Amino acid sequence: MKFLCTDCDAAMKFKDVTRPEQGSVTALFECPDCFTEIAMYLNPSETQMLKSLDLKLGGSNEAAQPMQLVRSQLETAKDNVMPNEVSSETGSGETTEGGKCPFTGVISEAFQETSEPIEPTGPVWSAEALERLERIPSFVRPMAKMGIESFAKENGHDEITGEIMDAARGNFPAQF
Amino acid sequence: MKTYKELPNDAGSNIIGQVTAQADRLQKRLASVKHTVAVMSGKGGVGKSALTANLATALTLRGNTVGVVDADINGPTLAKMMGVRNATLEYTSVGVKPAVSVLGTKLISMDLLLAEDDAPVLWNAYTQKDAFTWRSTMEVGALREFIADTEWGELDYLLLDLPPGSDRLPNVAELIPNLGGVVVVTIPSEVSQLVVKKSVTLARDVLKVPIIGVVENMAFYVCQHCGEEGPLFSADETLDEAFQQVILGSIPFDPRLARCSDTGTPYIDEYSDAPASKALRQVAEKIQAFFEN
Repeated sequence: MKFLCTDCDAAMKFKDVTRPEQGSVTALFECPDCFTEIAMYLNPSETQMLKSLDLKLGGSNEAAQPMQLVRSQLETAKDNVMPNEVSSETGSGETTEGGKCPFTGVISEAFQETSEPIEPTGPVWSAEALERLERIPSFVRPMAKMGIESFAKENGHDEITGEIMDAARGNFPAQF
Repeated sequence: MKTYKELPNDAGSNIIGQVTAQADRLQKRLASVKHTVAVMSGKGGVGKSALTANLATALTLRGNTVGVVDADINGPTLAKMMGVRNATLEYTSVGVKPAVSVLGTKLISMDLLLAEDDAPVLWNAYTQKDAFTWRSTMEVGALREFIADTEWGELDYLLLDLPPGSDRLPNVAELIPNLGGVVVVTIPSEVSQLVVKKSVTLARDVLKVPIIGVVENMAFYVCQHCGEEGPLFSADETLDEAFQQVILGSIPFDPRLARCSDTGTPYIDEYSDAPASKALRQVAEKIQAFFEN
């Protein structure tokens, strides 16, 4: 990807990238001469392709971590596959903040959307809906939860009820 | 207005640099592997994974250090067949320590990372809709990490058990430009050989990967009481002439081999005098001879 500021005939430079929102990331580029900014939107498929290739917009100065793609992207992984389980015997388990492994942040920053807390502006879950959510197999629950919330938001619902879950049911592989 | 080539870089993402770094990581790991062997069939159900597990064991028993990559990302079976399904992978700053079988063969498999028996391989995505557009890319990325990020140590042989179909071989050939060779598995049926021929053509003529040879699995059965041999499939069926020129061996069917696969017991060690064990050891010997000669 290359971007040209046609006014200045200058190559634009990467400035920033947003975290995925509804599966889509936005990258900002800036002209070094006139400081004009443009935003490039990647649709969910393009964003997902970038993730699948284990590539980062804006590049990365961090060293790659062992199996960072599989460990950060496998939805149905064992708990001990998650990145904070680095062996301390090797000295690689040194902590930075809050006892987390040194590269948890790197991986999260690079890819994670679903592990983020629910946005404050998102729909709330009724007690009944939460109970049904708990019945979804654990390995697909995060994905189902995110999908139901997206469905609710896209359809203008502030609260997720059993009815909303029924309506969203057709969008997901898991039955609930 | 400047053209694409006149612009100095890709605006700072250095995508080429990121891809190159991935390839470098892979090549650095492969530098400690003497020989890489892809085991493929083209058709499912020919016993390829069981054969891979037993060939790996046979090569190990011959004094080699052997690693196995279960390249069947969506249908991993080798952890169970090699008796390491309960192994816990240990992650370090430089790699992942593989599971190790009772006889010392190393293994990495998606099965070792999945949460539960019935957990399919599901990738984190905003939506699974249209996943066909990126899923295979993710799988190749996973395979790359399996090879590059596993702490194999010094290996004489790294076997890759490919999933059915010929579509994974081009990915492997791209990941491992110096792929040592391919072992092709078939059974005595026209249907199998029809499909396997395509895999052989793809490997030999398109990808230019050396064909180590063909293994005819379930070639016949041997009565465990009287030792008499009989055809398991059609009595008229013979191995295609093209395959006969590169045959590594014919492995008789033995229900004990299937049972050992289920229990994770090394068959050729447990039943070392069985005809299938002897045939498997001969195939391993020929594979080793292929590289040594």
